[in-house]
Amino acid sequence: MGELPFKSSQPLSLGVELELQIVNTRDYNLTRGASDLLGVLVKGGHTGEVKPEITESMVEMSTLVHESHVKLIAELRAMREAVVAAARKLNLGIAGGGTHPFQKWNDRRIYDTERFNHLAGLYGYLAKQFTVFGQHIHIGCADGDEAVYLTHMFSRYVPHFIALSASSPFQQGEDTLFDSSRLSVVNAFPLSGTMPLVRNWAEFEAYFSRMQGFGIVKSMKDFYWDVRPKPEFGTVEIRVCDTPLSIDRAAALAAYAQSLARYLRLERPRAVSDDLYLVYNVNRFQACRYGLDAGLIDPFDGGRAKVHEDLVATFPRIAAHAEDLGCRPVVQGLLMGARDFGNDARRLRVRFKETQSFADVVRWQCEQWMQPPK
Amino acid sequence: MPDLFFLPAGPLPPNQIIWFGVLLLAGVIGGEVARRMLFLPRITGYAAAGLALGPEGFALIDKGLLSELRVFADISIGLILFELGHRIDLGWLKRSPRLALTSLAECALGAGLVYFTLRTFFALDILHAFAAAAITVATSPAVVMRITADLGAEGQVTERALLLTALNCSIAVLALTALIPWLYLEYRGGWQTILLHPLYLLAGSFALGLAASTATLALLRWLGKREEMQAALLIALILATIGAAITLKLSVLLALLAYGALVRNLDRHYRLAAPDFGLTGQIFFLILFVLAGASLDLHAAWTGIVVGASLAAVRFAGKAVGILVFVPGGGMQVRQGLLLALALTPMSGLAVIMLQDTQSLFPDFGRTLASVVLPAVVLLEITGPILTQLALKLAGEARPKPAAKS
Repeated sequence: MGELPFKSSQPLSLGVELELQIVNTRDYNLTRGASDLLGVLVKGGHTGEVKPEITESMVEMSTLVHESHVKLIAELRAMREAVVAAARKLNLGIAGGGTHPFQKWNDRRIYDTERFNHLAGLYGYLAKQFTVFGQHIHIGCADGDEAVYLTHMFSRYVPHFIALSASSPFQQGEDTLFDSSRLSVVNAFPLSGTMPLVRNWAEFEAYFSRMQGFGIVKSMKDFYWDVRPKPEFGTVEIRVCDTPLSIDRAAALAAYAQSLARYLRLERPRAVSDDLYLVYNVNRFQACRYGLDAGLIDPFDGGRAKVHEDLVATFPRIAAHAEDLGCRPVVQGLLMGARDFGNDARRLRVRFKETQSFADVVRWQCEQWMQPPK
Repeated sequence: MPDLFFLPAGPLPPNQIIWFGVLLLAGVIGGEVARRMLFLPRITGYAAAGLALGPEGFALIDKGLLSELRVFADISIGLILFELGHRIDLGWLKRSPRLALTSLAECALGAGLVYFTLRTFFALDILHAFAAAAITVATSPAVVMRITADLGAEGQVTERALLLTALNCSIAVLALTALIPWLYLEYRGGWQTILLHPLYLLAGSFALGLAASTATLALLRWLGKREEMQAALLIALILATIGAAITLKLSVLLALLAYGALVRNLDRHYRLAAPDFGLTGQIFFLILFVLAGASLDLHAAWTGIVVGASLAAVRFAGKAVGILVFVPGGGMQVRQGLLLALALTPMSGLAVIMLQDTQSLFPDFGRTLASVVLPAVVLLEITGPILTQLALKLAGEARPKPAAKS
């Protein structure tokens, strides 16, 4: 066994982390509320975990490991109810969305723990600018080799996840023109990007111990990659998603990742190749900038298509897998309806156009998250 | 024609604008000295500057100037009361009835203890003790709002301090208005006055607030959400409302509180952004505290130190117990509850206005009342801001200083 044991987990099991915004209900700016909120949350009132994040204006909800979308969404709903009950008691608003539309980054306060204070000291303004809100999706893997394969192959689909989840069109009171402006913030960190082109877990361990030897990283936590293996959980983690405006969308994205993983794992449609990374950054940029209308270049055949077209082309390949996992309707709705239904970034822009007020946009975001349609 | 005709002739004529500038300058310097060198709240520095320039200090500001500048204080109190009213979030109170109970308990116990102390240890009659108790219910809105803004405080202690202040000010004004019939019974006046005066004050002030908020919302519907325009519009309507209240002999306090509260809670389409009076507001607030400092009656405080300190102490005790009773299950820790009570200690301008209003109607009654209440007001005007600042800092809700880099 090497330096970095990969804990085997139930293949295709599913878990989600969601970073959420805490705002006041007067002007809907981000507010200092995490410690108060966590103090009020009823312990044992729900499964999963609600944790502090780097600033006081953010909490993270993380679920248990689930086999199916149905169970995942049931847990997410229970957690949401607990968080919403606590927030209402404190008159706080909780919202999804990858960025807060008008917060000024210098107003943010670092949540008082040793790790967060260390990061704030190391990264300076980047740490405060990192007040962005993402969804992480974990997919269980039998072993490290499988995790390495999935990590590489998911990179082909990263633009899908970016475009589908994009909900950060506004930052610092401006329309960024991006659908997901959040991901550009991540780029500034030295250990962001993608996993190097290792072929199996042994190679990955060798890479990791070299980086450790340089003193660059201490643990996997220090890599801010778009997709990364998570050996201590036994998962592959997709980290490019903005936190969507609703739990249903968050769960649908997870279901898509699960179906895709099943397709890749069982059918092994392609071998890992460095072509994947030739087009990666351009595709990623396009997806951040233009969302579902972005033009994509296929790394394997050089074909070009818009993201929403590529989603429609992808669905038939994974439909049977989604069927077996019991989440076909959800995945079908997400992929096939992408063009007409659009993403949350589009909805946020519509909202802003109607109201011309970012405070109103955030209030609406809170409604989307806190009062789902029955 | 003399050659130097363009020079001013002595003795130099006094000029209000110069004094206004001097006052502002002194306030700014006092505020920064307080904050940077003494780690005290800025507003304490403003008041200290006022005290130094005022009749009890170097007497650069005399009574005449004070009354001429009074209009600035009135305007800033109007702005503050409006913003305070805007803090009353009926939705939160509906969702958390405990919060409403906390407010009632805090007011009732604080006032109850003040009443009991005055009756038992200072042998005051029922009416005076009741009126004094009613006045001490109110926390100084100006102090709490300026301190939270200056510290950039955010969190439950801050939010609840602001809400409880808004509520206890409203309750104090209502209680004092309810006292009017008894005062008429005691002093003079036919039954029509007894019945109609408080009714006129209550209904009239409320109606004025309602009219102002309806007008605001109608104008906003037309203006749209351009937030920079909203501040100017609000200031205009607030000034008009203050003026109307004075002309109609209504209660400025009630009218402005009602205006703020109604404009928020009637705004179903969320047309009004959270009010932010920015730089304009700051200048008014600075003047308010400088003037408050200049009119501080230290002599009264000193002669009444025993009654003042006793009232301040039992008032705090009552408020603290009232808050702590409802802490369990209310979304706060005990420590936060105590700090909240501490944050509610300041008394100041609002109490003085309530005293003056009473005095103008019932001069004799008002004078005795002032001698009882004023020492506590002065004491808490000086110590209150420091305690509020301390409470918010201890609660961890003040904006941290920019971190020194390692």
